[in-house]
Amino acid sequence: MKPLILTLRRNDHGRIDVSPLTPDKLHGMNRDAVAAIRLQCGRRRVRVDTLFEITGRGARRVEIRRSTDQLFRIGFRMRSGTLEVRGHAGDNLGERMEGGEIRVRGDAGEWVGASMGGGLIDVSGCVGHRIGAALPGQLTGMKDGLILIAGDAGDRAGERMRAGTIVVLGNSGPWLAHRMAAGTIIVMGRSGAHAGIGMKRGTILMGRKPLLPPVGFRAAGTLKMEFLRLLFKQLGGTRTSMAMFRGFGPEAIRLAGDLTAGGKGEILILLNARAGAAT
Amino acid sequence: MLTRLANGTIIDPAHGVNAVQRDIFIEDGRIVRAPAAMRKIDREYDLSGNIVMAGALDIHTHIGGGKVNIARVLLPEDHEQDPVAPSAGRRGGSGRAVPSTFVTGYRYAEMGYTACFEPAMLPANTRQAHLEMADIPIVDAGAYVLMGNDDFLLQLMSDGAPQALITDYVAWTMRATQALAVKVVNPGGINAFKFNQRKLDLDERHAVYDVTPRSILRALCTAVHDLGIPHPLHVHGCNLGVPGNDATTLDTITAADGLRMHLTHLQFHAYGKEGDRKFSSGAARIAERINAAQNISLDVGQIMFGRTVTASGDTMLQFRGAKHAHPKKTVTMDIECDAGCGVVPFNYRSRNFVNALQWCVGLELFLLINDPWRIFLTTDHPNGAPFTCYPHLIRLLMDREYRLEMLSGLHPAARQHSILASLTREYSLYEIAILTRAAPARSLGLGDRGHLGVGAAADVVVYRKRRNMEEMFSSPRLVFKDGKPVVQDGRIIDTPAGTVHRVAPEFDPAIARRLQRYFDRYHTVRLGNFRLGDDELLSYGRAGLSTHSCLPV
Repeated sequence: MKPLILTLRRNDHGRIDVSPLTPDKLHGMNRDAVAAIRLQCGRRRVRVDTLFEITGRGARRVEIRRSTDQLFRIGFRMRSGTLEVRGHAGDNLGERMEGGEIRVRGDAGEWVGASMGGGLIDVSGCVGHRIGAALPGQLTGMKDGLILIAGDAGDRAGERMRAGTIVVLGNSGPWLAHRMAAGTIIVMGRSGAHAGIGMKRGTILMGRKPLLPPVGFRAAGTLKMEFLRLLFKQLGGTRTSMAMFRGFGPEAIRLAGDLTAGGKGEILILLNARAGAAT
Repeated sequence: MLTRLANGTIIDPAHGVNAVQRDIFIEDGRIVRAPAAMRKIDREYDLSGNIVMAGALDIHTHIGGGKVNIARVLLPEDHEQDPVAPSAGRRGGSGRAVPSTFVTGYRYAEMGYTACFEPAMLPANTRQAHLEMADIPIVDAGAYVLMGNDDFLLQLMSDGAPQALITDYVAWTMRATQALAVKVVNPGGINAFKFNQRKLDLDERHAVYDVTPRSILRALCTAVHDLGIPHPLHVHGCNLGVPGNDATTLDTITAADGLRMHLTHLQFHAYGKEGDRKFSSGAARIAERINAAQNISLDVGQIMFGRTVTASGDTMLQFRGAKHAHPKKTVTMDIECDAGCGVVPFNYRSRNFVNALQWCVGLELFLLINDPWRIFLTTDHPNGAPFTCYPHLIRLLMDREYRLEMLSGLHPAARQHSILASLTREYSLYEIAILTRAAPARSLGLGDRGHLGVGAAADVVVYRKRRNMEEMFSSPRLVFKDGKPVVQDGRIIDTPAGTVHRVAPEFDPAIARRLQRYFDRYHTVRLGNFRLGDDELLSYGRAGLSTHSCLPV
């Protein structure tokens, strides 16, 4: 089946809320119906065909081309299908997403996968703050799913995260996994200060030692953990960009914490990961 | 502009009018006599087949003051899950258990409420409370000032000060805070909590001051009586929520010693400790006593199942209740040594024995207390349930079959512990109009509210007749506030500002000298800045100030 291609025209409308443009909502619509959808741009509501050139009809696969960071809420509450973004994505990419797949060939803004409940988000560039975090007012962040970031991530990745996996091949900002309830975060580059502060359970995997020792954590020895081999084997199969994970071994330094929040969480610093780590 | 509400079926208990078809005329925000035949009617509504009542009053609802804001901050999820978008003429907001101010006003007006009273304004929070209430559109507001735990009063009593001095202090505080009535919360108990007392029974002595809750109640009751404040002392007694507190409540009624007293959210004070679960309903005993004691009035504080938040000045109680918090987070704090503040989110569950029995106790009180003029309909918003549950509660009172249906879904042991199934009483529309309009207005001394007589403020609600009372009361056809239509078919069409109601009792100004010394020594605010003047209050954006008369003895 041919994809629906939406190519952004020259945008002089400011930020555009593209939350209605997800494959599951557009599937089965003809071209005119898609064209007639109105998108919120500031105070105005503007038709899709004013903003985008439309090729094809509503399909399970949607491509947004020439995208810029002005498009926000891409893939909002998306349940199924594939959404491909060529160019940058704005804030709230995949907010409250439930299923399906979003691929971005560029950077994305803040709140990537905020409070998401399932599905996959794959960003080839860098992303802003609070990926997989809890939206304002919510008590839990990401509840399931997988977020893959090939570049760097901003502050507070996985804040209040409940379950699911976040992989950052580059560096991450401070307050990584702040108040995390459970789940897995992998950062192959450097992570900023205060990693894991307030985390209750869950696992942070680090490719490199953090610059500052994490506060509230205590060294718990060097361990061989077979589950790491399985985890990396599975991750290595998801994407070519993740293929480097395949050879990673089971040895890691374990730090237990945050001891002020029960200490059931852990930071694992991988021992044989340096060769494959992104810079 | 002369408006005529034609052919409505009027229910106006203040004048003994029960379902009489009659026209009502409104001019300049007031209800007026039928004009001479030649006068032109500017606007006419045909209300044939509709029921017309005065605007409803909520005598006890926490809508302003520090604790409500603390509850809002504590519960971002309550706001996140219940957003209200702005629309033409109305502003956005959020929140179910503790809605934001605009939404509070809209939701009250949409149910036909035109006046709400904040029952627990700490003197230190006066500005916050009045500012917040001024932000609530459409409805009138007023506040009861919280006394009985402040060190100045307890010190006075401890030193054996004459009653006249205490009375002056009460009057001074009411004037300084622009209050409509006086409330006492856990008399002496909040203060005792700060001296590490974890309970204070009615006759238990305070660890530091030579007072007991009984003596505080007595002093404040007498002060309110001597000043001639229309609303009696608004009492949230000792031992709220403790099994066996029905005995305390009966003792509290005795402590009033014949003086008028209003027992608030009595449902929380009517628990026995009989039965194998050591928790039972004390409603029957209390109702019997109240039926005989003409000096006592009450509001129920009915609970409804679902998530809400309890916000109270009673730190002692909230400290005890913190372990039941759901979700697991609480705030327990002191506020300027005036009293305290406790905020505990709560989930009342129908399959939980205690919660189910609480639900029954409230309804038993409603059905066992005979005189509708002395009982008012409240859920102690948000402590028992958000005020948006009122139509549901009215249906429970008016429809026995529905009540039994709801009862059958409850925890089985709670059903067995309650006599609710055997109570056949069903409230009539006339009685509901007393409970929600005529009686609270009379109790608060609001001469021009709660009725449809000539000269009354034109707060009028028009309901379509429905079999299902919940539907009928949740979306009136029309609501008028001071003569202006504000709601039409359940939609807000105008948002005028309401009035502030207050009283202005007289007192001997000599009390200010004593207070000056106290303020200089202990307070964070200067005496002159503490007082909230009329000009400042009006500058908050209220439509006006309505001063109600006191009749000192």
